[in-house]
Amino acid sequence: MLRLAWRNVCRNLRRSLITVASMACGLAAIMFGQSMIKSVQRQLIEKATDSITGHLQVQNRSIKEYKFPDKYIEDPAPVEAALARQAGVRAFGKRINVTGLVSSPAGSVGAMICAVEPEKEKLITTMASYINRGRYLGGAEHEAVLGDKIAQRLDLRLGEKVVVMAQADDGSMGAEAFRVVGIYHTGSTTFDGQFIYVPLAGGQALLATGRKVNQIVVRLDDIGLAERVRAELTEKLGNRPVQVLRWFDIDHEIVAIQTFQNAILDIVLLIVFAIVALGILNTLLMSLFERVREFGVLMAIGARPRWVMKLVLAESVILGLVGTVLGLGAGCLLITYYGKAGLHLAVGDALSYFLPFPSVIYLRFAWMSHWRALAAVLVVSILAALPPALRACRLNPSQALRHV
Amino acid sequence: MSKAPLISARHVTKTYTTGAAKNAAKVTALTSVSLDFQAGEFSAIAGPSGSGKSTLLNIIGTLDAPNSGEVLYEGRQVSHLPPPEAADFRLRSLGFIFQAYNLIPVLTAVENVEYPLVLQGVSAAQRRARALEVMGWVGLETMANRRPNLLSGGQQQRVAVARSIVHRPMVVLADEPTANLDSKTAASLLDLMESLNQERNITFVFSSHDPAVLSRARRVIHLHDGKLAQS
Repeated sequence: MLRLAWRNVCRNLRRSLITVASMACGLAAIMFGQSMIKSVQRQLIEKATDSITGHLQVQNRSIKEYKFPDKYIEDPAPVEAALARQAGVRAFGKRINVTGLVSSPAGSVGAMICAVEPEKEKLITTMASYINRGRYLGGAEHEAVLGDKIAQRLDLRLGEKVVVMAQADDGSMGAEAFRVVGIYHTGSTTFDGQFIYVPLAGGQALLATGRKVNQIVVRLDDIGLAERVRAELTEKLGNRPVQVLRWFDIDHEIVAIQTFQNAILDIVLLIVFAIVALGILNTLLMSLFERVREFGVLMAIGARPRWVMKLVLAESVILGLVGTVLGLGAGCLLITYYGKAGLHLAVGDALSYFLPFPSVIYLRFAWMSHWRALAAVLVVSILAALPPALRACRLNPSQALRHV
Repeated sequence: MSKAPLISARHVTKTYTTGAAKNAAKVTALTSVSLDFQAGEFSAIAGPSGSGKSTLLNIIGTLDAPNSGEVLYEGRQVSHLPPPEAADFRLRSLGFIFQAYNLIPVLTAVENVEYPLVLQGVSAAQRRARALEVMGWVGLETMANRRPNLLSGGQQQRVAVARSIVHRPMVVLADEPTANLDSKTAASLLDLMESLNQERNITFVFSSHDPAVLSRARRVIHLHDGKLAQS
């Protein structure tokens, strides 16, 4: 049967090639689209977690707005002890994040003041790698690194002093002077224009918090461990007034973007599948009408109706397999090429407003999605063959033999 | 007790509906036709165009079902079998030769001949050997690997004959097998069918309206307006 099916497919080679080409192009386009969107999503998550969020955060349990924690962890030591013992945790560090005012003799700007443990922070985020003048925070209490856009607006140079003001824990207005030891450039308008990093001790002095912090940021061995580690930590810290948050609890807008992109991808997928299905349906129906008499002959010499149905389905499966293999090859070539050459995406420019996000995306394979698309193309090719196959198997042999 | 005939048609009536439902007209193709064929016969069904020859052959060949009456093979009723069982019956017991040869164009001559054996599930080596043997009987062993479009009409019909007998059927039903052939080729094909009948005891029932062809049959059944005229 397979030999007959294969030869029937090759009988009108041009028509079969057009069908196979449309399937292959459709599948390659789907794979490219999946790879592009998944690469952007992966990059977005990586950049968000690498720049600021980390994989997990421990915050005061009563905080509702996780991005701007307005309450403190009174006693971080037990949390640190639990984290030190927790499997899967690569690094963790305490932070205080507050909004405040940064002033120089040239002026003042509102800023996000990020007080960090410098040595630990280097293991959690990649901000130190963006320093392009001076150095990252060292051991001194009154050092600061800030973005080049703040430095430009406040006309600051390395070694100069900057005054940071913020509302202290006791309600008073705290003010401390910090010496600029480093200036970074991430390419992100928000990070370069609104963030200033100071040592945790300096931040605690500024805000009069004592040993209190409002975040403990955690980097895991693998981002995929977030769910499990969170569950285990939550159990261990159950009696403490803290909550363990996953990266997507904090950066929920990334999840919303992902959901939106995936929905668009699904719609595109549906449209491509519809085109593929119609292509196959058209090819098989034309082939069926041309071969009604042949089906009659096959039935006359003893082919069962179900056998005739299987023959038509086999032809469709052959078309589907060839189209899938060619589409897979073309898709792999496209993704491999743009994985090396990179793809300039305007969305990268847009996202870089919020995060240090590159405008060139290097595509990566998204096999979980690709396999789904491959399977769907094959299933669609079989489903599209069902109407002509059923029609063929319902033919009356004597009428089919009279067909002109 | 005498042995049952190979084929028995009993009061076979067939009516077709032609035209759209609104203007549908009923055409009676066969009216209460009863006849028998014995094993080893070389018989013809004769009649003008529209007399019901093809309809009778189709019903005898289980390609169509009568509205009333029945067809029996060696006493077994086969005219109202469900389509899969009718296909199985044809596969084991019947061979067909058509006016327009009706070979599968994407298969070579020998692949066409062996196709009934493919459907029977015979192993590749066995069916190829049998197909080549039968192609030798019809004088086409050297054309085995040619596609039908590279064969003459007479050669294609010989391939069709080989396909009809390759699986050792009880009877070969041939619907106007010489209608598309010139008189010389037609005579040669009839020689072949006759020799297969005499030397290998294969039963042939064929239809024709050509007196030259009918003169070769040992028994001629005449149909006129769907009724048996004389035998």
